[in-house]
Amino acid sequence: MGEMLIQLSPKQAKLKEELQEYFEGLITPDLQAELKDPEHFEGGGPEFKKAMRTMGADGWIGLSWKKELGGKNLSPMEQYIFVETVMRTGFPFPFLTTESVGPMIAEHGSDWAKEEVATKILKGELFFGIGYSEPNSGTDLASLQTKAIRNREGYLINGQKMWTSLANFSDYIWLAARTDFEAKNHKGISMFIVPTNDPGFSMTAINTLGDVRTNATFYDNIHVPESHLVGQPNEGWSLITSQLNLERLALVNHGPVEELYKNVLSLAQSTKINDNQYLIDLTWVQHNFAQVYSGIEALKLICWKQTWIMESGRLNMAEASVAKVYGSEFFIEAYRLLMEIMGELSLLKNDSELSILNAKLERMYRTASILTFGGGTNEVQRDIIAMAGLLMPRTR
Amino acid sequence: MDFSEMNHQGEIRDSLDRILVEHCVPENLKNFDSAFKHDAELLSFLASQGYLGLGIHEKYGGSGENLYDLGILFEKLGFHAAPLSLIGCLAEVAQTIQKFSEHESHQALIASILKGDIHTSAILEPLNQDPENPLTRAEIAGDKLTITGTKYLSELASISKSLLVSANSDEGVLLVLVDKEHANVSELTTTANTPAFKVDFDGVSIDRSAIIHAQGRGLEALKYLLQTSMVMRSYLALGITEKMTALIAAYTSEREQFGRVIGSFQAVSHRAADCFIDLECLRLVSQQAAINLNTNHDCENDALVAKIWAGNACHRISYSAQHLHGGMGVDKDYVLWRYCLLAKECELINGSASQNIDRLGLNITANQ
Repeated sequence: MGEMLIQLSPKQAKLKEELQEYFEGLITPDLQAELKDPEHFEGGGPEFKKAMRTMGADGWIGLSWKKELGGKNLSPMEQYIFVETVMRTGFPFPFLTTESVGPMIAEHGSDWAKEEVATKILKGELFFGIGYSEPNSGTDLASLQTKAIRNREGYLINGQKMWTSLANFSDYIWLAARTDFEAKNHKGISMFIVPTNDPGFSMTAINTLGDVRTNATFYDNIHVPESHLVGQPNEGWSLITSQLNLERLALVNHGPVEELYKNVLSLAQSTKINDNQYLIDLTWVQHNFAQVYSGIEALKLICWKQTWIMESGRLNMAEASVAKVYGSEFFIEAYRLLMEIMGELSLLKNDSELSILNAKLERMYRTASILTFGGGTNEVQRDIIAMAGLLMPRTR
Repeated sequence: MDFSEMNHQGEIRDSLDRILVEHCVPENLKNFDSAFKHDAELLSFLASQGYLGLGIHEKYGGSGENLYDLGILFEKLGFHAAPLSLIGCLAEVAQTIQKFSEHESHQALIASILKGDIHTSAILEPLNQDPENPLTRAEIAGDKLTITGTKYLSELASISKSLLVSANSDEGVLLVLVDKEHANVSELTTTANTPAFKVDFDGVSIDRSAIIHAQGRGLEALKYLLQTSMVMRSYLALGITEKMTALIAAYTSEREQFGRVIGSFQAVSHRAADCFIDLECLRLVSQQAAINLNTNHDCENDALVAKIWAGNACHRISYSAQHLHGGMGVDKDYVLWRYCLLAKECELINGSASQNIDRLGLNITANQ
């Protein structure tokens, strides 16, 4: 074993630079303009689709996929750097499709799914929404009730899903449905690829506080052939939980908050408040920056360590939950402290005169709450920390 | 990226645990609750086993210049509430002389420390918020220095052979090694009964050769001393808060109320989980600071971040531990109370969280 080393290797630093340059070229003014439109914050517009196809052609999709599946088999650390760099640019990269659903389909899907679906994901031509939560199944996901009944030609699907983000421009839904009604909750679930162009598919938009659109999606007698089942029947739960750690880690990546910190810092350095002083000269402003800085340092180290743990193949449940809880709660605090610095100017929306930083602060604070309950609510994460980290008794 | 400890570091951790578990039993700790809190027997045992040479270059008989190794010692001293106050001696004096001294006579002092002799620092001053700018003066006249000023919270000064003193002079900041006999030393009584002293220099005249660093490097040496001290104090805090969190987990997993162990109530387990999160953060920022300070002698922001987390974790975990233990937490027949007092000292010495936030804020917003 070598000396403990807490920094990127020269090769990793180079990858980061390469990615930064690539995205500078990719994000054209047209794409930038499109991403400011609330309809297209989360992608799905023509410029976004064009950029995704370019990325596919240039080999930047499927980085985490195994080589034999057409991917680059990047290490978790390199994946972390990829996510970090993309998120800093603000490009709504569809991680769920490319890094979570994609490799699972490529590995466990039918021949049809491998050829038709996985290949197109790698080309940047195809997008997925995730159908997990239901009106009565959120934190207790294994209680989900959407049904897939086996028949001679395949499966008949009926049910309703909530928070199906990106469904509005997705080609398919990655759907969890119950296939065994006798088995214990999580043992009777299977995974399906459900086309959104089926006449039995419908949705209603849910408009959220953060202006991020999500959807309620409805599945009314949708018939899918056997080839749309992914993995073995009734073994969907392991597909749902695999890669969940990487997903959680991606949610609390330190890139975006550090980028925001830098943006606000340089704005405060150039904002004059009177003839002799800049905003940055105020003591309380410096204190707010220092609070955010010391919080980001801890977040960066937590994420790096978690990624390193994955690299060595060991999994530490408590530390994964620490990352989720700390990160999601720190974001809320950091946005508040940074908004305080810019004061009332932080309230101005993007189309307003006098607005600052493209109203990034105004938009980000409205999305902050999602992460404390999304991706596994923090109460459950704290239960896990107490049990796995402190060996305390299970909460009843 | 590699967060794993080297083999020898795991061994240091384990063997220190074995030694200290045996030595720091409650009956022994009790002997120091109101007496002079310095376990000379333990110190000489640690010296005989080579533990005082952690972080010290092999040429002085140490195990190699690595602050991470020294950090393990402080973490373990904290974890076992050992009656030894060694940050002044091992972190401030030995490390600073090792890095900055060019005199053989000063370097000889490192060998003396490894044997178990105390040589401590006298750096902090009452009401001086900026230790980089000491109020203590050194007047230079030819080959002589005359030192005047008051220092405090000097650990173990009464049994120290010499004192490393910071002073301002016409040549800027100096770090000067003064024979203890030249100083007026009086004992203070602190909240955790730490052997801390007030040290007065009333126009003490010494040779210029007592300056430990090359001309013009005084501020650099003092900054290194302060940063090393902050980081090692953070390790001490890490050990203290690790122990308090372990006590929380153990106690709430045993104690029953309403027919079930209280650790199975979410209100209890979630407060414990928050302690675990603080602990993880403190561990990581301390490790980062120690590693960076090994290769770069000025990592003030890393040291500040570590000490800010140390201050906050000490405060939050101490009160969570007391609360979750109920009356047991404050009962002097149980073990927790000593850790709570140590935590408060660790929180405030080397700058409180608020004071260090102020400093960090200045640093990150300047020079742009």
